[in-house]
Amino acid sequence: MYRDFARDFDSLTAIYEFAEKILAANEISESVRFPVHLAMEELFTNMVKYNPDNRSDIGVDVDVAAGTITVTLTESGVDEFDVTRPIDVDTGASLDERSPGGLGLYLLQNIVDKLEYDYDDRRSRVIFTKESG
Amino acid sequence: MFEIDYGSDGEVICAGRLDAAQCAKAEAFMDEIADTSTLDFSRLEYISSAGLGLLLKTQKRLAESGAALSISNVNNHIYDVFRYSGFDAIFDITAK
Repeated sequence: MYRDFARDFDSLTAIYEFAEKILAANEISESVRFPVHLAMEELFTNMVKYNPDNRSDIGVDVDVAAGTITVTLTESGVDEFDVTRPIDVDTGASLDERSPGGLGLYLLQNIVDKLEYDYDDRRSRVIFTKESG
Repeated sequence: MFEIDYGSDGEVICAGRLDAAQCAKAEAFMDEIADTSTLDFSRLEYISSAGLGLLLKTQKRLAESGAALSISNVNNHIYDVFRYSGFDAIFDITAK
């Protein structure tokens, strides 16, 4: 199921409700729904933060088939930003050494089962999958 | 929806979903915390990296005066996020 969302943090509740309805209808467990919602938020907020001058909507597609949840986020008129590139976060650093920020993509890459990115004609598309079983 | 307020024993009760859209509300409250405090997460359902950043920022500020945040009643999903992030080493966290 596909829907466009305004490029604004205030869309997060609507995105959560949109995905939650689909996941609940497919009887996806809470232990899987949580990381799916988290991955969606991290991707969406990343798109909002790094393209502040772009006013176009962000497309979100959520599909559940054969035990696999597939989520696709698409945006147009943007520069390339490969979210699959390795993120260097020292999670063992001390409090003094750590700084706020930078965790979103690191978390994303660690909680999904598969993450893909493609960029063409100033359109970014991110696809992630999460197994429900 | 996200709510934050003091409980009857002085603990800070967080409830709902702490996503990026709710961080300004959480930050306005957390910026007023000046002493060692416990955050009660028993009714917090969800947190994203935006919320983690706020917790880290608050912990670093409090550490400058020898104070600290601890976090209690953390659900399994949020605990996993803390563990992935290494926050279990820089916060005193109690699981639900």
